Amino acid sequence: MKRRKFIQQSSLASGALFVPHFLKAVEKDGTALTGTSEKRLVIIQLSGGNDGLNTIIPYTNDIYYRSRPKIAIPSTDVLKVTDNLGFHTSLKPLMGLYDKGYLTILNNVGYPNPDRSHFRSTDIWHTASKSNEYLTTGWIGRYLEEYGKKAFTAIEVDDSLSLMLKGEHTNGIATKNAKLLFNNVNTPYFKKILNKQTDQHLSEHNLGYLYKTMIEARSSAKYIYETSRTTQSKKDYPDNPFGKQLKTTAEFINSGLATKVYYVSMGGFDTHANQLGAQSRLLEIYGKAMAIFLDDLEQNGSLDDTIIMTFSEFGRRVGENASKGTDHGTANQVFIMGSQLKKAGFYNQGPDLLTLDNNQDLTYTVDFRSIYATLLERWLGVPQENILRSSFTTLDFI
Amino acid sequence: METKHVQHLFHRAGFGILPSKLLSLSKMSRKNVVTGLVPKTKKFQKLQLELSGMEAMVKDATKGRLSKPQRKELQRLSREKLKEYNAAWIHRLVHTQEPFREKMTLFWANIFVCRDNHIFHAQQFNNILREHALGHLGDFLKAVAKAPSMSKYLNNRQNIKEKPNENFARELLELFTLGEGNYSEQDIKEAARAFSGWSFRPNGDFYLRQKKHDYGSKTFLGERGNFDGDDIINIILKQPQCARYICKKVYRYFVHPEINEDHLKEMEGVFYGSYDIAKLMQHVFMSDWFYEKEQHGSKIKSPIELLVGIQKIVPIHFMKKKQQLYLQRIMGQVLLYPPNVAGWKQNRNWIDGNTLLFRMKLASVLLNDAVIQVSEKGEFEDSFEAYYANTRKRGKKLNIERDWSIFSQEYVSLDRQSLRSYLIQAQIDKDTLLFLDTLTQLENKEYMVQLMSIPEYQLC
Repeated sequence: MKRRKFIQQSSLASGALFVPHFLKAVEKDGTALTGTSEKRLVIIQLSGGNDGLNTIIPYTNDIYYRSRPKIAIPSTDVLKVTDNLGFHTSLKPLMGLYDKGYLTILNNVGYPNPDRSHFRSTDIWHTASKSNEYLTTGWIGRYLEEYGKKAFTAIEVDDSLSLMLKGEHTNGIATKNAKLLFNNVNTPYFKKILNKQTDQHLSEHNLGYLYKTMIEARSSAKYIYETSRTTQSKKDYPDNPFGKQLKTTAEFINSGLATKVYYVSMGGFDTHANQLGAQSRLLEIYGKAMAIFLDDLEQNGSLDDTIIMTFSEFGRRVGENASKGTDHGTANQVFIMGSQLKKAGFYNQGPDLLTLDNNQDLTYTVDFRSIYATLLERWLGVPQENILRSSFTTLDFI
Repeated sequence: METKHVQHLFHRAGFGILPSKLLSLSKMSRKNVVTGLVPKTKKFQKLQLELSGMEAMVKDATKGRLSKPQRKELQRLSREKLKEYNAAWIHRLVHTQEPFREKMTLFWANIFVCRDNHIFHAQQFNNILREHALGHLGDFLKAVAKAPSMSKYLNNRQNIKEKPNENFARELLELFTLGEGNYSEQDIKEAARAFSGWSFRPNGDFYLRQKKHDYGSKTFLGERGNFDGDDIINIILKQPQCARYICKKVYRYFVHPEINEDHLKEMEGVFYGSYDIAKLMQHVFMSDWFYEKEQHGSKIKSPIELLVGIQKIVPIHFMKKKQQLYLQRIMGQVLLYPPNVAGWKQNRNWIDGNTLLFRMKLASVLLNDAVIQVSEKGEFEDSFEAYYANTRKRGKKLNIERDWSIFSQEYVSLDRQSLRSYLIQAQIDKDTLLFLDTLTQLENKEYMVQLMSIPEYQLC
């Protein structure tokens, strides 16, 4: 097949986009995409460190109330779901999901030798590293490298790309506005540069890498925009930036993009002072948007193929501080949402406030990498070893 | 010296070179050019902000005379000053008379990685890097180990004999000198004991808390004695691996992202024992292999190299210092704010689709009033509103003033080919070259912006 013809027939690169010879393999991969599984994963980070103890409240626990004389949630305000655990009232929308069996809560998720810096702990969650190990690639980046190859396989619904979606040679792509990204790679100048690319004289070294990245960005931007442009959500998402991010994510998913992983981060959870009001508002924003998001996916027939994981880089200290807030802590909940959960509700016991670590923080009982391993093997259908660089016990929630 | 060689040298040992200087240096021998790079004296210009207004407050703070709100205010002020220091550092990189010392300082800042919101300590640490950048590695390590910023960053202040904290000892071995696999866990424990009780006074001076120091016998890397931290560093320096580790870093930063084992061996031979950094660098810059064609344009510029490189030709004054921070953040490198103790990852790690698009647009943004289409992420500490606040700023031009005088003197009347060869280190892709040849209508100013927007400009 003539190259020109091949490119025209490719769904990804219509028009007169010429591609250097050595990149043909890259371009070809795009048609093969990501294998057979239609499953996708949405990852949400509550950035800043959400206070888990005031999110899922151990409302019968004396230690909880003693440790937080000013900011404990009174048991009368708790939306009780088990004998000893209940939701923060702002999470009422999640109750609906809980009742339908669309929500699994994993308690005490963390890792050995926890780090209490936002940066470091976020890195650890993003790269799936040990706490004393510095990796240059994210776990989704490594997944992408092995299975998706194209940048659009993993989308961060934002303007810049986080470590989680960076691989060694291939990266995901960030966009919260597909049209804007598309316009950025379709300036007359960009077109001219790439349209001149006709031959194989690019080296495999750094310059070749730059051209490859440019071409990949352009083809992914084009694919995302052209696939998703006509899909508009009919749901009434809350009018705030997080609601907007989830709306965009739902539109991407419902348009049939072949993207396997979406990542969204929601900010504001670093509640060192006057936590009660601040966290209540944040959880309300989160809960409302999530309920609509799942509804949107379900009505469009996308929910059966979607799992949503919500994490925070750490939980907060058991004891409150002097500013009616909480400082950086350790283990925390992870929420898993979807219609295909094997074990809905609480996956395991709530935190044990009697056995704290030597810093008086919660001890983890579930390694977050076990959750990753489960999502990779039981959901995305790929072996965990190359991606997590080790083997973790998978869990029974899907 | 060949013109291309001088140009290559100055892109690696500095941030580029002006055409007039390039032409005059080309008439000199390599030896004279390289010798001319290295500062003649140990004297150097510290990078310091005017902080006299804060000094009294800091003094009061250390004496415990500040109320809680006052302490908070001091911290806020210090964080603000750190942002100013970031701008001052970039300004220094652009305007320095000692580009080589500054380039080395930047290099070391990503080896002995440290982060501190305390402006006085941050300045002190930054100037330690500058002072020792071309000095003796042993003296350098000892100064770094005693610096308040490092002591705080890697918890050595909490390292006491009753309860050793291993953080500093671990990173000293793993990231600063030997690299993983060249020591045991026991070596870390013993080294931590030797650094116990190392602390600092409020004025930033080192002092040994004798009661917290472990004077007992330690066994470290096969040697036994009542070692303290300096002894530990001396023993590290005895390991050929230490010279090898640092030479590898130098090679990747100054020569080529991929190591050539023969060249590395040669460098180790020069560095081991003397640990004279200036001597090592001179050796590299005198070597024929440093000037081989495959080294030219083989490195991907760091965001700072990119930002400073453009400003070497057109210095820019940011009316809002936030905007220069924003540029750094979007490209993934904010000076003084490294992501973690391992530092920035460099080379291809700077590049993903989003950063590359932005980097290729940077020249238009800085020199041509192009509108910025992307917003930075909020910070971890931000409230919900603040976290997303930057989104609203999207679609704006930068508020800057440009100084075109250097351009007017040096670049405005150059012919196309010269302009191209001065700006671009890498071999330009043939098709891109064809594209450039179609731009016949452009003035040199616009042509330069175009050149700075091709992928080849990302390399040095």
